[in-house]
Amino acid sequence: MDTGIIVLVVAILIAICFAGYLIIIFNGLIRLKNNIEKSWANIDVLLKQRTDEIPRLVECVKGYMKHEREVLQRVTEARTAFLNARTMREKAGSSEMIGGALKTLFAVAENYPNLKANENFMQLQKRISGLESEIADRREFFNDSVNNYNIRRESFPDLLIAGIMRYGRRDLFEVSEADRATVNVSF
Amino acid sequence: MDNLLVYSLIGLGFGVFLFFRAFGWLKSKRLIENIPTSKIRSIAMGLVEVYGKVVPFRGEVLKSPFTVRDCVYSRFSIEEYRSSGKHSRWVTVRKGVDFIPFYIEDETGSVLVDPKGAGVEILRDNEFKSGFMKDPPEDVKRFLRRSGMDFEGFFSVNKTMRYRESFIEPGDMLYVMGTAGDNPFVEEGTVEGGAQDIMIGRGKERFFYISDRPEKRVLGLLRWKVIGGFFGGGLLILLCLWLVLFYSHFWSFAKF
Repeated sequence: MDTGIIVLVVAILIAICFAGYLIIIFNGLIRLKNNIEKSWANIDVLLKQRTDEIPRLVECVKGYMKHEREVLQRVTEARTAFLNARTMREKAGSSEMIGGALKTLFAVAENYPNLKANENFMQLQKRISGLESEIADRREFFNDSVNNYNIRRESFPDLLIAGIMRYGRRDLFEVSEADRATVNVSF
Repeated sequence: MDNLLVYSLIGLGFGVFLFFRAFGWLKSKRLIENIPTSKIRSIAMGLVEVYGKVVPFRGEVLKSPFTVRDCVYSRFSIEEYRSSGKHSRWVTVRKGVDFIPFYIEDETGSVLVDPKGAGVEILRDNEFKSGFMKDPPEDVKRFLRRSGMDFEGFFSVNKTMRYRESFIEPGDMLYVMGTAGDNPFVEEGTVEGGAQDIMIGRGKERFFYISDRPEKRVLGLLRWKVIGGFFGGGLLILLCLWLVLFYSHFWSFAKF
C-alpha cells in the first residue's frame, strides 16, 4: 500500500515536471520570437528617423555641393528605396544603401569648409551620427535575439516544440563588406 | 513520535513549496538567457537587461546602517540567539531596507534605475557578532543607540547577537533586468531622447532583478536553485511522505 502511494507520488511529480517544463519551453519560444519582432521594430523606428533627416540634410548641403550632384542623387535614391521597401530584408538592404550614401556625403563635405562651419549642417551631422550609433547597437541586439532564438529552436528538447509550432530559422541583419569599409573619396 | 509527525508534515509542505518554486527559478533563468544585454545608449522601452557601474543620481547617497559607507541601496538584519528548553535558534529582531534611485553607466551612456520592488541579490558586505565578554563594534553600538536597541540582557551580560549588512556602493558593477519606461524625473521634451528619457523599474512585465554578480554567475546561481528545487524538493516530499505513512502505520499498530 505504502509503496503504491510512493510510486503514485513519484509519477505525479514527474508528470508535473514534464508538463511545467513543456509550458516553460512553449512560452519561452513565443517570447523569443516576439523579442525578434520587437527588436526589429526598435531598429525600424531609428531607420525612419534617419530617413526623415535626409531631406533636411540635402536641402542644407545642396547650396554648397553644386558639383556633387551624383553624391546627393545617391542619398535621395537610397531614401526612396527605403520608403518603398516592405519586407525586413528590403528595409535592411536599403538602410545599408542609405548608410553608405551618407558616409560618402559626409566624407565629401570635408572638402567644403564653409559647409563644415554651417551650424545647421553640424547639428544634422551630429544627429545622424548619433542615430547611426544607435542603429548599430540595436542591430547587434537584434542579431543577439535572433541568435538566441536559433540556438533554442535547434536545441533539444526545444526543437520538438519548435517543430510542432512550425518555427523556422531566422536571418541575421548582416552588414555588407562594402558598408563596413571606409569610404575613400577622390577629388 | 508526535514531534516526528509534525516535522514530517512541515518537511512535506516545504518540499512541495521548494518543488513548485523551482519552476519560478527555471522561468527566470530562461528569461535572463533569452534577453540579450542592451547597450545603454540604445535602450528601448520594455523588458531590458543592462550591466554597468553604479553612479549616484544628482549626487545623492545614503549611508550604510553599521559602517556608514556611501551607498544607494542597503539592507541589514539584527538577529538574537535564543534558547528555550532543548531548542535554540537565531531570531530576527530587526531588519530594514533603504534605497534611492541611481544611474547604471556603461561605455555608451547611463540610465536611471529605481530599485523599488526589485528582487535584489547582493553579497553580504559585513557581519559582526556580540556575545559573552564580547561587545559589538562601535559602529554597531551607535546604530543600536540610535534605534533604541540594546545588546545587553540581564545584569548587563551581552546577548548573543549577530549584525549583518549588505549594500550597493557607487562604483559597484551591477546586473539589472527590469522594465524600461518613462523617466518621471525628466519633463517631456526637455532632453534630446535616448536613455535620459528612460528609467528602469518594476513595470508590467513584473520581473525586476538586481544583482552584483555578472550575468554568467547569476545564471549559474539560478541553475543550482533549479536543480536543488526539483531534486531537493522532490526528495524531501518523498522522504517526509514515507515518514508520515510509516507514522500512521505505527499509530494504527499501537492502537490495535
